[in-house]
Amino acid sequence: MSEMAAETKDLGLNQDIANEGEPTVVVTRPSQGGDAQSDFKRTSRMTLYVRRFLRRPSAVFGMVIFIILVLFALLGDKISPWRYDEPDFTALAQAPSADHWLGTTIGGSDMYAMIVRGLGRSLLVGVISSVLIMIISALIGTTIAFFEGVVEKVGMWLLDMLLVIPSFLLVAMIVRSSSGTSGWLWLTIGITAFGWIGYARVIRTLTMSLRELDYIRAAKFMGVSSFRIIVRHLVPNLGSVLIINTVLGVVSAVNQETALSFLGLGIKAPDTSLGTLLMNGQSSVLTAPWILLFPSAVLILLTFSVQLIGDGLRDAIDPYSRSAGKAE
Amino acid sequence: MIKYIIKRLVNYVIMLFVAISMTYFLASAFMDPRSNYMARNPRPPEASIDRSLDLANINDKTSVFVRYFNWLKGIVTEWDWGLSPDQEPVGPAVASRISASVQLVTISTILSIIIGVSLGVYTAIRQYKWQDRALNALSTLFLVTPAAVLGLLIVLGAIAINNATGTRIFYVTGLHSYEGGNIGLSILDFLQHIILPTLVLTAIGYVNYHLTQRTYLLDTMNADYVRTARAKGLTLNQAIRKHALRTSLIPTTTNIAFSIASIFTGAVITETVFAINGLGRYFVTTINDNDINGAVCIAAFSGVCTLAGALLADILAAWLDPRIRLN
Amino acid sequence: MTDTTMNNTTTAEDKPILEVRDLRVNFASEAGTVRAVRGVNFDLYRGKTLGIVGESGSGKSVTSMAIMGLLDKNAHVEGSIRFRGDELLTKTDKEMSVLRGDRIAMVFQDPLSALTPVFSIGQQLEEALVIHNPKMTKEQIAKRSIELLKLVGIPNAEERLKAYPHQFSGGMRQRVVIAMAIANNPDVIICDEPTTALDVTIQAQVLEVLQRAQQETGAAVIFITHDLGVIAGIADDIIVMYAGRPVEKADVDTVFSQPVMPYTMGLLGAVPRPDRAKSSRLVPIPGAPMNLVNMPKGCPFAPRCPLATDVCRQSEPDLLPVEGREGQLAACHRVREIVGKGLTFRDIYSVGESVTSKFAGIPREDRQVVLDVKHLKKTFPLTAGGFLRRKVGEVHAVDDVTLDVREGETVALVGESGSGKSTTLLEIMEFKQPESGEISVLGQRVEKRMSRETRRQLHSKVQYIFQDPMSSLDPRLPIYDILAEPLKVQKMSKEQINDRIRDLMALVELNPDQVDRFPTQFSGGQRQRIAIARALAVNPKLVLLDEPVSALDVSIQAGVINLLEDLQNKLGVAYLFVAHNLSVIRHISNRIAVMYLGRIVEIGSNHDVFETPLHPYTEALLSAVPVPDPKIERTRQRIVLQGELPSPSESFSGCPFASRCPKFSTLSKEQQARCLGEAPVLEVKSGSADHLAACHFA
Repeated sequence: MSEMAAETKDLGLNQDIANEGEPTVVVTRPSQGGDAQSDFKRTSRMTLYVRRFLRRPSAVFGMVIFIILVLFALLGDKISPWRYDEPDFTALAQAPSADHWLGTTIGGSDMYAMIVRGLGRSLLVGVISSVLIMIISALIGTTIAFFEGVVEKVGMWLLDMLLVIPSFLLVAMIVRSSSGTSGWLWLTIGITAFGWIGYARVIRTLTMSLRELDYIRAAKFMGVSSFRIIVRHLVPNLGSVLIINTVLGVVSAVNQETALSFLGLGIKAPDTSLGTLLMNGQSSVLTAPWILLFPSAVLILLTFSVQLIGDGLRDAIDPYSRSAGKAE
Repeated sequence: MIKYIIKRLVNYVIMLFVAISMTYFLASAFMDPRSNYMARNPRPPEASIDRSLDLANINDKTSVFVRYFNWLKGIVTEWDWGLSPDQEPVGPAVASRISASVQLVTISTILSIIIGVSLGVYTAIRQYKWQDRALNALSTLFLVTPAAVLGLLIVLGAIAINNATGTRIFYVTGLHSYEGGNIGLSILDFLQHIILPTLVLTAIGYVNYHLTQRTYLLDTMNADYVRTARAKGLTLNQAIRKHALRTSLIPTTTNIAFSIASIFTGAVITETVFAINGLGRYFVTTINDNDINGAVCIAAFSGVCTLAGALLADILAAWLDPRIRLN
Repeated sequence: MTDTTMNNTTTAEDKPILEVRDLRVNFASEAGTVRAVRGVNFDLYRGKTLGIVGESGSGKSVTSMAIMGLLDKNAHVEGSIRFRGDELLTKTDKEMSVLRGDRIAMVFQDPLSALTPVFSIGQQLEEALVIHNPKMTKEQIAKRSIELLKLVGIPNAEERLKAYPHQFSGGMRQRVVIAMAIANNPDVIICDEPTTALDVTIQAQVLEVLQRAQQETGAAVIFITHDLGVIAGIADDIIVMYAGRPVEKADVDTVFSQPVMPYTMGLLGAVPRPDRAKSSRLVPIPGAPMNLVNMPKGCPFAPRCPLATDVCRQSEPDLLPVEGREGQLAACHRVREIVGKGLTFRDIYSVGESVTSKFAGIPREDRQVVLDVKHLKKTFPLTAGGFLRRKVGEVHAVDDVTLDVREGETVALVGESGSGKSTTLLEIMEFKQPESGEISVLGQRVEKRMSRETRRQLHSKVQYIFQDPMSSLDPRLPIYDILAEPLKVQKMSKEQINDRIRDLMALVELNPDQVDRFPTQFSGGQRQRIAIARALAVNPKLVLLDEPVSALDVSIQAGVINLLEDLQNKLGVAYLFVAHNLSVIRHISNRIAVMYLGRIVEIGSNHDVFETPLHPYTEALLSAVPVPDPKIERTRQRIVLQGELPSPSESFSGCPFASRCPKFSTLSKEQQARCLGEAPVLEVKSGSADHLAACHFA
């Protein structure tokens, strides 16, 4: 499901790639012929991106929330007397109080400390696997597309083959055998190992349109080596897509982490993640709803803020966005 | 013509074979059925463990290739997908869960498509208006909310309603609880059970259709042929409805076909939250029980669904789009 | 007093059907407000054709979209557009839709995307009819549809109604679009570059159809184009637009014979003529078109105008009647002086000195052969669209092509799209053993197995220039890195690369200090100069050019053509030049090879091919090229080829051109049998020993 979403959602970005050659002042296309010597008013690409990003309140809002969450995960344990792995056996399943700000679990763990730890774990798994997925899928996707012919045929067959079995099932098999402390590592490996395939297909499709572009053919005609073309021309020109996909990939990685941990297949005690907290909370929905509610809220804040950042980036980089405003 | 369809089917069968074999080796490498017995108290004698494992063809002391060959032989000759560590045949176990999964997902899939596509069209036409922004925000919220969170929050809400009204309007576990013979009551009972999981699955499912349909329509709305239609005398709305919409529905249709696979295994979380004995929950059981054969069997089933979906998508695309229609 | 009585007695026919007054259109953009149209005025009369000429960004298309009410929502429109006295700008989309397609119709530029892919031609035609005539019966619709298709020259109309757009070629689709436009006998037809995307022979056909359609409907036509040749043949009156405003307006003869505004003169002077041998260098208009955001005050053409004075830079001139000239208007402060002194293009623009060639005086036979292609063949598998993607046949993209290029000369490949001219270039550039035949570069045969070193040397001898400088330069690399790339392949040191890049920038007349800029910071013409510099970086002996100027505006083209000529003369490099624009070919090339369906049907010197074409296809091709001179256009007889290019997958036992050959019908039965049964060979036909043609009866 997640691959599907990624593939279809990114279709819109094709246009971005195809139009990289356009001047940054996109709407003024009829008159791009400004003389380089003349005092042509020009906005640099970066400034333009930042300006467009900042124009979206939702993106800025997402950014602020995300930064707060990261700070919370990094520094949150400094201000609480409780540690996530030291239960308070005098306070089992207690509602939020001055002592335990967010209450305690049935086992007496302090919810605040658990959430700080869980958020850290979820962030770690989400960010690392998303970055790894993008690196792997970028290299494999561009390579398959660039070497036409047999490499492409075999590569595509293998990619299709790997997509036959839903990746969630395969990841579940792998993380099954993980122990408590290295659980997050296995989870990251598992999500990465089967998460790159769908993205590799997306990137291959994008590269296919890129490789037909004249500047790639020009490099070939000049005798530039294939490896250099991939690294110097293809990957940088996929840059915007890769950045957006990495950001949005965090959302789906966190979601996968949550799902697996919720099923008891991912991160296990004594370590904890937001998904694991949800699993704990499920059994006491009626008696101690705070065990469920607080991690849920943090999860939604996390994924929503990242999604807002990703959408903001997409709008900022997409030259076809109509966020240009209206003529007065 | 038929020759080419057969060619494609053969390719799919090979693909499926390789994928399932890969899954088998992966499962054998990472799942450890011996630990089921080792954890028992008192621990059974090693010979008896080996005997049990041998019976199910999952003994790690036997070479994995020998086990693979035996397993394959069983499937090819007798359509026998093997035994679980408890010596239960996994084939019938999977088959018996399909019906629960179908009951669970059918309504929500149909609702997802209808709601998602309609919203996609509605918001694309109103791009950047407040309706578009509001519905987009809502869909984004559903998109990012983990299924477990959504499911549990809905359970919480339903229980609150039940408590507030003092009657049991919503059931939060299973699909049936009524045992009597009254058809009306039986249907009512089913509805009371199905409504909450359907709500969850629809909320998760429609989002994809909404966002993609919106993108597709926006892409085609600016196409030259929509402008031509307007130049002929159609109003903007007529041109979009007649020309852009029709074209933009083609990729959506293939998307729907593709999503068949996830229909069966995409409901793992929902089944767990609502304690419904479908394929997804069975899969979690097989993983927790180190049931190699069971897990591979489910993987194989969803693999078949994926490829069936892909084939259906191709056929639908060829049927809907004259550019790739067969002559 | 007399004026009012005049007005009262005018008949309906004398009244303009469309009046545009002070039309202004703005768009919002990141950089600021784009003033796309800044005050357009004109009247349109029934049965007349108004030509609007201008380069990209001149506002000509935006004007037409404003009339149709089809502008984007972020456009802000001011002024007045009256149709039969009825104001259009205040109408809602719904009110406009009553007029659109019924009274005012439009034909768009790109026929490939103008039709909805999922509806049949019949359905789309029917829609155009029914939307305005809901009461039409099925039979009436069918009858009218067939009638329309016949009118626009689509054979087998009944059957073709069931076909889908993708089953039609570009020219055929444009005919369908025209059929839809004239379906309801409109009063106004707006044609926005209707033939720009088409080949010359198809362009000739479509122009004919348009003229017939106008006669049939008596409509007024607005014809928008950048092609002065096309406009000379079709328009009654012309508006020349620059930077969103009309700068000159007159009847077609006056504009071409006595232009007043320096921009108009420059535009006319910058275009090479297909009907005349090259006499001198082209004269480019300096600079590049104006950016429409934050326009400085003064005449927008002033920065490029050789006559510009302080007045021109201070205030923008209005479009005013030119004294002493009937019906001619111009927007220029110095109009009095220009008319008074009778200044012409030659007086205003300076004609540069051309460089003499390194090889001047050395006859062709004595020059070294740079490229030798013998019996080159290239086929592509033809796969059926659709999900099975099965192979259904073969396309003979290049079929037995033999040609050679010698030092310092320019050989041009001409032909319609699908003739295999670009494929020939790409095949040479691949440096792979061809399917069949052989390719040699400076005596080195291209083989299947070549050492890395041989390959590198080949890359240093042959370079390539693409059509579109927007896409041939990596937008993420600064110019320095772009130019360094081929040098690095040739393993030059850092210092060598530095020196070379400085020289190169000077060579293509760019400021060497700008090497740190990115491609997007240059104009189209400058980018093509960078692409040329990159190709020449490694001192190649041969450069393959694929339509190197066709993506550039007319006023920029001339400069690039001049540069290419100068560089060839200075460096002695040979060009193999592919272009569809025969005027450019006539100007730049020494030898010409005419291709049809992958084969060379005629080859010879520039003079021989243009003055005494042998092959009937060459004759037709040459006669289809519009000449930027209304007098010639009115009088000359054009050979309009019937039909379309046959499918390239078809195989022929005889002459592939027989199905369209104008000569074929004049032949006797036996002769025709020979054309159909025996494939003609490329051979010497007339006096000149190196003028060959592949025709039995040339």
